Amino acid sequence: MINLKNISKVYRTKTIETTALNKIDLQVAKGEFLSIMGPSGCGKSTLLNIIGLLDQPSGGELSIDGETTSNYKGKSLSKFRNEKLGFIFQSFHLIPDLNIIDNVEVPLLYRKINAKQRKEMAAKALESVGLANRKKHFPNQLSGGQKQRVAIARAIVGNPEIILADEPTGNLDSHMGDEVMNILSNLNKDNKTTIIMVTHDERMAKKTDRLIRLYDGSQVA
Amino acid sequence: MISNYFKLAWRVLGRRKFFTFISLFTISFTLGILMVILSFMQSELGSNAPLSNKDELIHLPYIELRKTHFDTIPEIDTLITNGTTKYDTTYQYKSRGTSTSSSTFNKNIIVDYLSDIPFTKQVTVYSDNNLFDFFINGVKLTMQLMFADENYFKIFDHKIIAGRAFESSDITNANQVMVISSLSAEKYFGRTENILGEEIKIDEKTYEIIGVYQHSGKIISFVSPDAILPHTILDESDSDPFYFGGFRAIYQKDANIEINQLKKEIVNASANIPLDHPANDFGFNEVKLVPRTYNEMFAQGIYYDRDPTKSHRIIKWTVLLLLLFFIALPTINLINLNTSRILERSSEIGVRKSFGATDTNIVTQFIAENIIQTFIGGIIGLCLAILMISFLNNIGYMANAKLIINFKFFLYSFIVTLFFGIVSGAIPAYRMSKLPIVNALKENKL
Repeated sequence: MINLKNISKVYRTKTIETTALNKIDLQVAKGEFLSIMGPSGCGKSTLLNIIGLLDQPSGGELSIDGETTSNYKGKSLSKFRNEKLGFIFQSFHLIPDLNIIDNVEVPLLYRKINAKQRKEMAAKALESVGLANRKKHFPNQLSGGQKQRVAIARAIVGNPEIILADEPTGNLDSHMGDEVMNILSNLNKDNKTTIIMVTHDERMAKKTDRLIRLYDGSQVA
Repeated sequence: MISNYFKLAWRVLGRRKFFTFISLFTISFTLGILMVILSFMQSELGSNAPLSNKDELIHLPYIELRKTHFDTIPEIDTLITNGTTKYDTTYQYKSRGTSTSSSTFNKNIIVDYLSDIPFTKQVTVYSDNNLFDFFINGVKLTMQLMFADENYFKIFDHKIIAGRAFESSDITNANQVMVISSLSAEKYFGRTENILGEEIKIDEKTYEIIGVYQHSGKIISFVSPDAILPHTILDESDSDPFYFGGFRAIYQKDANIEINQLKKEIVNASANIPLDHPANDFGFNEVKLVPRTYNEMFAQGIYYDRDPTKSHRIIKWTVLLLLLFFIALPTINLINLNTSRILERSSEIGVRKSFGATDTNIVTQFIAENIIQTFIGGIIGLCLAILMISFLNNIGYMANAKLIINFKFFLYSFIVTLFFGIVSGAIPAYRMSKLPIVNALKENKL
């Protein structure tokens, strides 16, 4: 489903050239739960951003569902991200001015779905992460674990085929981390959603189908 | 989507109270002040009673007599031809300077020589306002009196609220009557009703009140006298030289001609005025008339140039530039505020784009927020303008002036402010929409 061939990412300034990713080859099957580990600065998040089409590789080719992603530009790229991908960030990135249900609704705003249907879909997503009773709360009224569950609800509300999670348990204690991990595992099992997760936590990584390790921008395991 | 924008805008306004205060203050204060300025301009320069015909009027306030001095001037050149000095003298006859004398008209000049001008619908002769003191119940009062003819009330559509305006017989017979303003009636009698037939004694002569007109609320003197009397009461023939006196003329053009055509006719009519009168003992050899439109006359009152069109042009552009500057300053301020506000929300932009927002979606969102904000500011601005105008009217900041809220101007001001509101939101939003998602997310201000 996801195919990375010789993916490189080089950051250049006038004086320095830094290689963040060095010729990564990776295939991720549909419905697979993959975790990426490695020390800080090894390129894990960069790789996730490239797979999520948030960043562009300096070299190599990425294809998803057989489509080369470099063909997507502007509106088609936005549409692709909106329909196929869901993101979960370490620091949640909820919009503080919107209440929980409106936050979950964000991906649906960019589809032609009427307000009533959007509300229903967002409520259902919140229910699936156990936050149906917090719809009208604002992010600053929630705990870290609850915020991350809202972020998961936002990621899954549009039924994406792929979820990209960047250290989703990084800011949570072990109990909350386990809760979030269970939700992701269930999502993977029940909906066959492909999940790629970056983590520092060996314990969490072991709960996934496959683990790859990066070191200095190269895949080492 | 729209309700989402509205919700978000409302929350953003509520969450960043200081920013909201500065933004709303900027918008509402600008609109409020703009409204007061426009209200003043509309009140003084708009086509409203008693100046509904103002765009058809030509004012002729002064007569100018000129004497150009001509001299024969010899010029002697020295030439040396074959060692012999020769003198070559030439003579030139040219102007060596001009003497001028100008003043308001003797009314007879207007009546006798300047009344019958082509393309004129009607002409009125009226005096400057003259201060007269008199006593009522032992209290000294002062009135600004104007002397005019019956056409004055045809050209200026004063609303007669009691009695009548002048008839031609009042002028022909030099009747000792007067039409007073509602403001004067209140001031002198404490009422505007039941004062017809009352008498006022001025300079040992008694004048009967035959009408009351609604006070115009304007500061332009020739539509705001305290009372108007027939000009024939004054006999200028004895007291003034032939050409000069205390009167001016206003012409109303025929409906089908351009105003400049009438101007030209008035200039040409200067040839009607005789220069061989004994009063011209200085030997003036030219009469110059400079007719001007209402706006030109108003402009000359602020910035005087001999050419009234130049005065008008300079004042018009100065006012426009000042208004533009007045709007531009808060706009630049708003752009700065919006840039910092949107920069603060770069992480939100990153999230939205991650979940499928296009650049257009982002720009539209911030523009929508700005429109909502400007709209709220506009409503506050309107309230502020109403308060300021009623305050200014109540304290009588300028004698006789009365400002009114003009909703048409409010709409124009609002559209201009909205335009700048949109621009001030769109420019930073467009820049931010182009920010790479990864960089936007790194800002992490959420």
